[in-house]
Amino acid sequence: MLKLNNIEVVYLNVVRVLHGISLTVEDGSVVALLGANGAGKTTTLKAISGLLKVEEGDVTDGSIEWEGRRIDHSSAQEIGKLGIVQALEGRRVFGHLTTEENLLVGAHNRKERHIIHQDLEMVYHYFPRLKALRHNIAGYLSGGEQQMLVTGRAMMSAPKLMMLDEPSLGLAPMLVEEIYDIIKRFNDERHTSVLLVEQNVRIALNIAHSGYVMENGRVVLDGSADFLRNNEDVKEFYMGLSAVGVKKSYRAVKHYKRRKRWL
Amino acid sequence: MAELLQYVVTGIAVGMVYALIALGFALIWKSSSVANLALGQLVLISSWFTYGMLVQVGLPYWIGLLLTIVFAVFLGWSIERFTLRPLIAQPILSLITVTLGVGYFLEGLVSFIWPTSVAALPHLFPKEPVHIGPAVVSQEYLWAAGISLALFGMLSLFFKYHKMGIAMRATADDQLAVQACGVPVTSVFSMSWMFACVVAAVGGVLISLIGGITYGLVETGLKSFSVVILGGLDSFIGCMVAGPIIGLAENLGGGYLTPIIGPGIKDIIPFIIIIIVMVIKPFGLFGEERIERI
Repeated sequence: MLKLNNIEVVYLNVVRVLHGISLTVEDGSVVALLGANGAGKTTTLKAISGLLKVEEGDVTDGSIEWEGRRIDHSSAQEIGKLGIVQALEGRRVFGHLTTEENLLVGAHNRKERHIIHQDLEMVYHYFPRLKALRHNIAGYLSGGEQQMLVTGRAMMSAPKLMMLDEPSLGLAPMLVEEIYDIIKRFNDERHTSVLLVEQNVRIALNIAHSGYVMENGRVVLDGSADFLRNNEDVKEFYMGLSAVGVKKSYRAVKHYKRRKRWL
Repeated sequence: MAELLQYVVTGIAVGMVYALIALGFALIWKSSSVANLALGQLVLISSWFTYGMLVQVGLPYWIGLLLTIVFAVFLGWSIERFTLRPLIAQPILSLITVTLGVGYFLEGLVSFIWPTSVAALPHLFPKEPVHIGPAVVSQEYLWAAGISLALFGMLSLFFKYHKMGIAMRATADDQLAVQACGVPVTSVFSMSWMFACVVAAVGGVLISLIGGITYGLVETGLKSFSVVILGGLDSFIGCMVAGPIIGLAENLGGGYLTPIIGPGIKDIIPFIIIIIVMVIKPFGLFGEERIERI
């Protein structure tokens, strides 16, 4: 179980971007982290995975616990060894390596060769398309294939917690669904917890068990996926729907303004 | 005819050693995009170190060479650990400047410890020259070429198949993503410096066996720059193809142009090649171009 207690994150000792985030990811669950650009979602993931330190960011207050142990002072590599992996936003494949080499880098921290080989087959089982492309240079794969590769690379570390940063970014709706189906299946079959950062609220809440809505470095709303799906504010601001599930009319834009004022 | 053949054989052989030393540049460029401007001085200091161990201390050859390798590994490790690591995440220009500083420091260190300007390593390979057709070539050249080629092969296999080698190539592509995969980039950098120093040391010893140890060895490093630039900054194959080309150009140009233009032309040729390549093919022969999906 992952537990964030009231963490604050400061970049370069000056810019405070997270003002007390608390969240919990139960074992085997899918948790969605939602919010607009600049809300602090990615920073939250980096705080967990330890990549924050690389970017001169620091967890200045609060604690991050993984299976009862504090990890907010561990390095990215140590955290990786504990079974937490983050797939970065924006399909960052290793462009000059082949598909298979990309996947092997994902298994860098693991020793046993035959198990790595099994996991390679496992990833190819979830993403059959990657198997066909195993000797292709990753830089020339299509966007969807690259996203599959990045997700598969995260799977290769045999994680207990997989953090995915906007897997739907820039993909066609059909591909988004395909990838989300695979993430769901991976979670069901392997009981890997998934922490999902997403702008596409609808699809994220489809597979998530619970979710958190962030704004300006704070959690403003949290609850089960059902609760969030039916929450008026979430519908209004993140799904573009008004009260009864009908498409929002922009003639009623005054209503929007009034709401924002008392927020 | 015999003369031509001799120029060709020795040119290719020396070029192979240049290529080996050039790998020391390509390795570091590939994993951390830092230009290693201390290349020549790395060659210099390890050659003098070997001289110190073999001649001044009087150790047997194999122990001396082994110690040189150990020294090179240590040198690479400490350069990375003490001068480059504190600068991680700083502008890349600072890092490159630091390598320049390291180079001058090493050069100063050498002239401090070994004030004599010329020395020679004892013979390692048999003295009888080899006859290749009409040409007569001393064995050092052939051994130098063979050892360079073997080391090059080993490094290529390492980078193609070994886990750490793959991780090093991945680091060249995306440093943050590779850390997200749990690869410790600091040890990747440190390893690339160790490799670079080892190839520079082996190259240095091979060159010294052919031409003796002088401060001119720093120029050998500079010539390796032209190899790297011709081959493409990050390409191993590029180094191995460009090395012999530079060696040949240098030897043939030196052999046939010296009577016409005058001495010194031999040493200018590699740099003329650098300029021409930069103008015509900025990525070099085999350089990695940026991948753009269309």
